[in-house]
Amino acid sequence: MPEGLKINKGAQEAVRELLCSLLESGRVNGVLALGRTRGANGGVAYSLFTDSDAFVADGAALPFLPFMPANAGGLLSRLTLKGSLAGPVAAVVKPCELRAFIELVKRSQGSLDNLLLISSTCGGVYPLDVGANGGLEERLPRYWEAVKQGEVDSDVRPVCRACVHFVPENADITVALVGEEDLDTQCTLFLDTEKGAAFVKGLEGLQGTSLSGELETEPIQRSHSQRAAYREELFAGVEVGMQELIRTFGRCIGCHACKTVCPICYCSLCYFDSQDCEYLPEIYESELERKGGLRLPPNTVFFQLGRLAHVSVSCVGCGMCTDVCPADIPVSTIFSKVGTSVQALFDYQPGKDVTEEIPLMTFEEEELAQVAT
Amino acid sequence: MNDKGAILPAENGVEAAVVGWLKEALNKKVFDALLMPVQVPAGDSFAYLLLQNPALLENGSPLPPVMPVQGARAISRLTMRGNGSKRIAAVVRPCEARAAIELTKLEQAHLDNLWLITVDCPGVLPLSDYLDDPAAGAARFVEASQHWDRAPMRPVCQICHRFSMPASDLHVGTLGSADGAVFVIPGSPKGERVLESMDMPVDAALDDWAAQVKEMEEAQTERRQQAHADLRAGIAGPDGLLDVFSDCINCHNCQRVCPVCYCRQCYFESAALKLPPENYLTRSKRKGALRFPPDTLLFHIGRASHMILSCVSCGACEDACPMSIPVAQVFRLLADRAQETFGYVAGKSLDDPLPLVAYEMDEFHQVEQPYVEIYHKREVQDA
Amino acid sequence: MSDEQEFEPRIIYFLCSWCGSGGGETAAAHHLHYPENVRPSRVNCTGALPAVHIIRPLIEGADGVVISGCYPGDCHYNDGNFRARRRVALVKSILDTLGLEPERVWFRYVAHGEGQRFVDTATEFNDHIKKLGPNPLKTRSDT
Repeated sequence: MPEGLKINKGAQEAVRELLCSLLESGRVNGVLALGRTRGANGGVAYSLFTDSDAFVADGAALPFLPFMPANAGGLLSRLTLKGSLAGPVAAVVKPCELRAFIELVKRSQGSLDNLLLISSTCGGVYPLDVGANGGLEERLPRYWEAVKQGEVDSDVRPVCRACVHFVPENADITVALVGEEDLDTQCTLFLDTEKGAAFVKGLEGLQGTSLSGELETEPIQRSHSQRAAYREELFAGVEVGMQELIRTFGRCIGCHACKTVCPICYCSLCYFDSQDCEYLPEIYESELERKGGLRLPPNTVFFQLGRLAHVSVSCVGCGMCTDVCPADIPVSTIFSKVGTSVQALFDYQPGKDVTEEIPLMTFEEEELAQVAT
Repeated sequence: MNDKGAILPAENGVEAAVVGWLKEALNKKVFDALLMPVQVPAGDSFAYLLLQNPALLENGSPLPPVMPVQGARAISRLTMRGNGSKRIAAVVRPCEARAAIELTKLEQAHLDNLWLITVDCPGVLPLSDYLDDPAAGAARFVEASQHWDRAPMRPVCQICHRFSMPASDLHVGTLGSADGAVFVIPGSPKGERVLESMDMPVDAALDDWAAQVKEMEEAQTERRQQAHADLRAGIAGPDGLLDVFSDCINCHNCQRVCPVCYCRQCYFESAALKLPPENYLTRSKRKGALRFPPDTLLFHIGRASHMILSCVSCGACEDACPMSIPVAQVFRLLADRAQETFGYVAGKSLDDPLPLVAYEMDEFHQVEQPYVEIYHKREVQDA
Repeated sequence: MSDEQEFEPRIIYFLCSWCGSGGGETAAAHHLHYPENVRPSRVNCTGALPAVHIIRPLIEGADGVVISGCYPGDCHYNDGNFRARRRVALVKSILDTLGLEPERVWFRYVAHGEGQRFVDTATEFNDHIKKLGPNPLKTRSDT
């Protein structure tokens, strides 16, 4: 049974105090978390905080805000890409962001050294257009009510409603949120790793009672079934087949924003942006002869299928891609659906185990017999 | 070249007239292929199609209600590595034609075998407005454009004063088209030859149309100046500026859809800004916190310094922003000021050299800091 | 000490490798002094200084940026300084439109032998920035 710490304060307050103490005591040099940017609009962005003032009651930090302006897995990669952290830094991230970071670490795009990873059981995040222009404030009461009941607010990202991986893996500390009815007065922190425990033990200003408890409570299991059912429904609604794909991606403008925000897409220069896709006029003309008509810029569906081939094995279903699409294409639904089947094929769960190799980087001598004709 | 035009009858409306004329041109082999917006199979958007088969023109539109892809990007993709043997006519909005001209100067497009055909433009709807209900959007667009009512259009379309294009190879003048006819105005020898081979004499006087264009340009210029003054009041200074960009998530959509931003790998995504963790922590300590990913403001101001001299005010950037930041309006303000400083209008003519490539010996003295003869802080003691 | 004198500006002084740095060397040869907080940064030619490198210091911690290179006609690469002048004009236009104090950027020619002019520029700019005060952008954490 994992070790935990029960604090007699509301979850938001308890976590803010924890982070404040970690900074003030010098146990960590910085904290990566969501925070308010200055702005009448109430903009929210991830920030690397080094001043503990951000974590006092009215400070800028908003650790568990149900919003994801960027996938923090990608941000942790950015932080540690050019070198491991020399001293400890804490990061408050959602389960899918953590999984994305693990996938990036496997690809040598980041380092876990000296990172104190704090996550929580997750009730989903609101789409970006809800958060733009300060629209989050009015939704929060409803959101937290749902979380307490172990439910998911229907206005969150569809892939959040369909997410069955909302219990974090590989966190050092997990904050219990989903299904915790007394969230406003009590908070349980699970110390998943020795590292997590070490950072918290004897931390001045943190008062709590030790306990042993299960993270996967009955409300969590119930939520899991509900989300699994919705997931099936969501994926079944995706129209497949070449004609249907052409219809769905007909609106695609080839902006590649989905690629830019995807945590797994880390290539500095995407294949589809490279010279390989800059065709000679003769190529366009011969294609034109063949087909009579040719969409420009080319490779609309090719880009989607190609990106699927590159990332589906590690897709964590965070939903950034749908949110950022200017043409309202449900990219994350399609990518999650394909990702799920590809991952099942290889019996692989992205982000579960940092020592587990990416399926395309390894092989068995005897496997996948169904592939060879 | 621009004082006379050819008459194109348009009893069934401008769209039908232009599409009919293009079909005829294709059939007569005046052009080998057309590049124009065509409705997509699901009917919920438009995409640029390079087409040879006249049947594909059925769903074509010279003035679609939206601009999902900036036409100059399509032209650049096609002609980046040169022109082929086919003669291609590209039917685009004036701002798309201007962007194509800028891209040609930047060596990202080649227009030798390509004809730019433009039409007087009422603007386009914001993409997200249209996607909510494409059929209603299309109807709204038709209604508004008939009266030159720019209220439903993109914010930068609302203040556009370059909606009529004197520098394309062929321009269809529709403003105030009476008697069910429009003008096809050649803007280059290339354009003239097309009208010749289609037996369309260039002998109609354009005074009426030209006067209407001028009147609208003046009214729009006034609106534009007011809009810029209002905007500047709201965004000037660190507070105002960072308010505008407080929602920015660094997706870089604005840069990706911009026709002028052609770099395969943008500087702001390159290794130059990917630094060791110590750098981020030091900066965070200096400021108390560091927005992550960092360099949000640097991206916007830096991108501005790279492209505003070629900005054509199309508004593609604002349409693509998932956080509804008025990027096009801000960049347009910067672009107007900068282009004015350099006496340059982006896309006006292939003969105008790019301002950062050309220079004069004797100019911009206002930028040179005058010297204060022997600057001493302390008084020199008397000997 | 007044408040104004307590504020020590962080200033970047871009110098081209030819006249600009030469001016610095001449100043050194004549034992002329300039304020320590003015940090020289050498570029090959002012024309090779990207606009972004004038903007970035102003966001990340500098209070002022001054650029010196060869006089028109003297550029080792013929026209680098003309291009630099245009680029500075562009950056100033952007800063001015955005209300970001274009006066924190100076462009002044310094010849190889003009040691006095070099130190005068550094000192004058330092005093100028002290009067302007700290750059408000540099303490913003939301940039």
